[in-house]
Amino acid sequence: MSVKAFELVPAVERDLLMGDKARINIECIECCGKHLYVGTNDCFIHHFLLDEVASPMGKLSYSAQKLLNKYLGLKKPVAELRAASALERLIVLCDGMVFLVDMVTLESVPSAAGGGVKIRGVIAFCVNENPVNGDPFCVEMAILSSKRRTVQIYMVHKDRVQLVKEVSTPEQPCALSLDGYFLCLALTTQYMILNYNTGASQDLFPYNSEERRPIVKRISREEFLLAAPGGLGMFANAEGVSQRAPVSWSESVIAAAVSFPYVVALDENFITIHSMLDQQLKQTLSFRDGHILQDFEGKVILASTKAVYVLVPLPLERQIQDLLASHRVEEALMLMEGAQRNIPKDKFQVLHRRILQRAGFIQFGKLQFQEAKDHFRKGELDVRELISLYPLLLPASSSFTRFHPPLHEFADLNHLAQGDQEKVLQCKRFLISYLKEVRSTEVVNGCREDVDTALLKLYAEQDHDSLLDLLASENACVLADSVPCLEKYHKYFALGLLYHYNGQDSAALQVWTRVVNGDLQDSTRSDLFDYIVDFLCCCSNLDLVWKYADWALQKDSTKGVHIFIRRPLSTDQSELNPDKVITYLGKNKQALLLYLEHLVLEKKIQKEKFHTHLAVLYLERVLSLLSDSSADAEPLTKARERLQAFLRESNLYRVQFLLGKIEDCEQLLLERATLHGKLEEHDKALHILVHKLRDFPSAEAFCVWASSGRDPAYRQRLFHLLLEEYLGGEPRVGGGGELEMAAVDVLNRHGEVFDAVRVLRVLPESWSLQLLRPFLNRAIRASMHARHTSQIAVGLAHSENVQLLHDRLKERKKPIFVSEKKGCHLCHNTFKEPDVVCLPGGVPVHTHCVAQRIKDSPTKRHLTNSSNHT
Amino acid sequence: MPDVSKMKKPDVKVVLLGDMHVGKTSLLHRYTERKFKDTTSTVGGAFFLKQWGPYNISIWDTAGREQFHGLGSMYCRGAAAVILTYDVTNWQSLSELEERFLSLTDTANHDCIYAIVGNKADLTDPKAQLSPNSDSFSEDQTDIVEDRTEPQVLSACPTPPASPTSLSGVVPRKQVSREDAMALYGRILRYKGLDEKSSLPADKMCFETSAKTGYNVDALFETLFDLVLPSILRKRHENHESPTVDLEDCRGSGKRVRSSCC
Ligand SMILES: Nc1nc2c(ncn2[C@@H]2O[C@H](COP(=O)(O)OP(=O)(O)OP(=O)(O)O)[C@@H](O)[C@H]2O)c(=O)[nH]1
Ligand SMILES: [Mg+2]
Repeated sequence: MSVKAFELVPAVERDLLMGDKARINIECIECCGKHLYVGTNDCFIHHFLLDEVASPMGKLSYSAQKLLNKYLGLKKPVAELRAASALERLIVLCDGMVFLVDMVTLESVPSAAGGGVKIRGVIAFCVNENPVNGDPFCVEMAILSSKRRTVQIYMVHKDRVQLVKEVSTPEQPCALSLDGYFLCLALTTQYMILNYNTGASQDLFPYNSEERRPIVKRISREEFLLAAPGGLGMFANAEGVSQRAPVSWSESVIAAAVSFPYVVALDENFITIHSMLDQQLKQTLSFRDGHILQDFEGKVILASTKAVYVLVPLPLERQIQDLLASHRVEEALMLMEGAQRNIPKDKFQVLHRRILQRAGFIQFGKLQFQEAKDHFRKGELDVRELISLYPLLLPASSSFTRFHPPLHEFADLNHLAQGDQEKVLQCKRFLISYLKEVRSTEVVNGCREDVDTALLKLYAEQDHDSLLDLLASENACVLADSVPCLEKYHKYFALGLLYHYNGQDSAALQVWTRVVNGDLQDSTRSDLFDYIVDFLCCCSNLDLVWKYADWALQKDSTKGVHIFIRRPLSTDQSELNPDKVITYLGKNKQALLLYLEHLVLEKKIQKEKFHTHLAVLYLERVLSLLSDSSADAEPLTKARERLQAFLRESNLYRVQFLLGKIEDCEQLLLERATLHGKLEEHDKALHILVHKLRDFPSAEAFCVWASSGRDPAYRQRLFHLLLEEYLGGEPRVGGGGELEMAAVDVLNRHGEVFDAVRVLRVLPESWSLQLLRPFLNRAIRASMHARHTSQIAVGLAHSENVQLLHDRLKERKKPIFVSEKKGCHLCHNTFKEPDVVCLPGGVPVHTHCVAQRIKDSPTKRHLTNSSNHT
Repeated sequence: MPDVSKMKKPDVKVVLLGDMHVGKTSLLHRYTERKFKDTTSTVGGAFFLKQWGPYNISIWDTAGREQFHGLGSMYCRGAAAVILTYDVTNWQSLSELEERFLSLTDTANHDCIYAIVGNKADLTDPKAQLSPNSDSFSEDQTDIVEDRTEPQVLSACPTPPASPTSLSGVVPRKQVSREDAMALYGRILRYKGLDEKSSLPADKMCFETSAKTGYNVDALFETLFDLVLPSILRKRHENHESPTVDLEDCRGSGKRVRSSCC
């Protein structure tokens, strides 16, 4: 698991420092901007100017220029150096003594009056990088004094140092770091945080500082990195809480620093680099005789005993690309997101998106589709990048070219799948689901054609149900690409939809009819014929309708005629008016019949021509069935029923015309009776029914039907006619009894319509009372009933009248006072006679005043209506 | 882990404590990744950030190894809940909780809640051999097969049989009963000086789990998260009141750690 996060670059070579003097070792370093100071064991300070040199290859190197070296005159190693650049001073620890030298000349600073520049008995010191005291011209420094168990805080000025605080510790401290008021100390047996201002302390964890060298390193505001037992790098904040998980170093770690997001540590042989984001070891660099590792303003500098190096971080982008190149997507993303604050925002967004996209492709390559999809979506991937992986999916007209540098390493899907067809299939299914999801979002703005065409091709190839949905709804499929594809996969129905969507109905119909005719094979719709008929119903291109109506009627006239029947009533009637259709349907009796039925029965079009035409068609059918002796009875019965019903119900057909057609047909007597009925030739009708057909129920029914909607007298007349028909003829031998029985029956059944008195007059004397009892009973009861009802009506009317009289009187009784003292509201004269007119509200005025007023203003004429005369 | 990278500030801390090899890491894996995978003995500690509704809960997985024992009180500092974990097949692991780990919790919040969790229940309890849903159970099976290919490195105890079929062979005896755990819970309350009646009942806070099958694992974490919610709200409130932390306040407890462990 290695990443190349850093490169070790030599900064100051041995030659430049000590030449060939073998005993000289580097003891400490300090770097401040371009200035590098090196302290050696022979009590020298070397001052270099360090320049970054970028090679044309983009590789970074350093060139060091020696400015000065200075012997401090103490014969002891220079233990520590720290720059206070604002003061132009170096703070030096040498021979247990802290003192200041000039940053440029390296000369010792003479003590000023009132304060020394030397502190003696110092084990170690550190500078506060985050002082509470904000004075820029002094530096706060903490010192471990050889005086036991104390930490001293000093203020360092340009020419003096000043003790400001001394705090004691429970044990002897041996390493320290300072941030704000917080001292982080390594004591003999543990680490602790000590607030030098309040004296409050917080134990961190046990550590045996005598056994192993402690590390106390401030890494950010109030956060420290500490060497912990077991070779751990522990993080602790000023509250004594660990907010990051520890990293695992070796037991022999010497120094550590943070170069976000990495923790860099040095041990005897290696530089180890852990990520603070996942605590994993990311890189190991071998480094012999390592001795110093420190970070200066973000720059990590290392030293062996003889030379100085800079640990140069590789650009995060490079690191991330490297991770991606080795397919470590999660790590790359983590690094990216973790390092967000170290990258400018706009750059971050672009890079982040690119990484997400690349990550998506890597996961896609591993068939981890869900993850890939998430990354594509978050990375706002141009979907065509994905589509272009699939050979021939993008339309030929697409202007797309893949992003450069490439987002993935696949030439195409086949390359990715290495011939594994199952994989190819999975990828295709994924693309289908992905495109389906994104096609309705703004992600596809500007490439809708490409997306929809690709989707169409996939659907067609995969025999996917959604193909039809795609084509039936709004889409941007490119015709030039889609047509051959649909043809290839025999998706002719879909092809028709595509043509239709593109306004080429003629092409659509052509394809579809060829499928129905069996010239082309596509089983998408078994009811394609019906579909075409429906399609023609709604087709606005009448030429097409006429063109394909022939074909449809020929295929199936019953269904085909629906082209005209189901056609929604459009504005454009001239072309498809019923007359024209009827002429067109011409000899196609079946279709014509259906069409006329539609016009007459459903649309209820009240046109004599249609009604007559329909009646004739019905009649013709009956006649043709009659003439065919082999035909079943059933269709004939049905056909006659239809004809009879129509003859009865329609009032528009030409009765005479029809009558003429059946006059000599003895089989259609009932129809003839109906037609006579229509002509109000009831006697003829009844004659046929009673004497020719001897169908008494039909005769009665005729009376009821012929008089329906007329007044009772009309009906009475018909029934009397019927009775006459029954009784009027000369009593014939044999059959006479039958007619009489029919007469009795009709009387008993429909007694209420007859005029009983007239009936009694015409009845033969010989009939027994018993025979007519139901009729007579009903007649008497009816006449009684009529009498009683009219009596009640008279009574009610009378009482209503009385009631109204009463009300009127009551209204009148209210008095209206008129006196000689009261004035008329109109003329203001007093009243002299009792005759007045009341205005609404009971205001009395003179009759003549009102008359005058009405004459003057015609608009107020209504006043008279609403006023009461008294 | 990607959560860590976003450096969200956790609202509350939950700490897993317990002897090495009891299955702390496995429990956390099971909960966060819905898997039982091979582990190596934890070095130092690790943590996971869990989004719980609007809150971020950091769950710290500590190292049970003696070597890292000293770090325990730091991990527990400010904890709102501590999960004391033992292994139901190992009596020693329960007694270690009392002897070694309890004192580490001195740095936890005053109102910290404690759960006692007996892991590896699948080894002794048939009902813990079935995962909550059979889906993930079958998934477990494949995991285990993969797991076996890598040797387990740092295991002090004999490795328990990993597949349920081998249960019929060497059946590890259940060495710790739930009652033992509940009794320990009582002693913890006493150690903390808490009144048994006003504290959460032992019955509710003692769990038997299996990281391997997932048995009771979600229940454990979700119960705890629900219980620490008030603590989150209070913490947010306090942070509102005084953004600085009073070190003096914590020092007392810090002292106590040392006296009890050294
Ligand atoms: N049968 C069974 N084995 C388990 C279970 N949980 C963990 N193990 C096994 O126990 C061993 C230790 O698990 P870990 O999760 O690493 O234990 P730990 O508590 O994190 O150990 P340290 O990190 O050393 O403190 C591993 O071999 C796991 O496979 C469980 O529920 N059932
Ligand atoms: Mg672990």
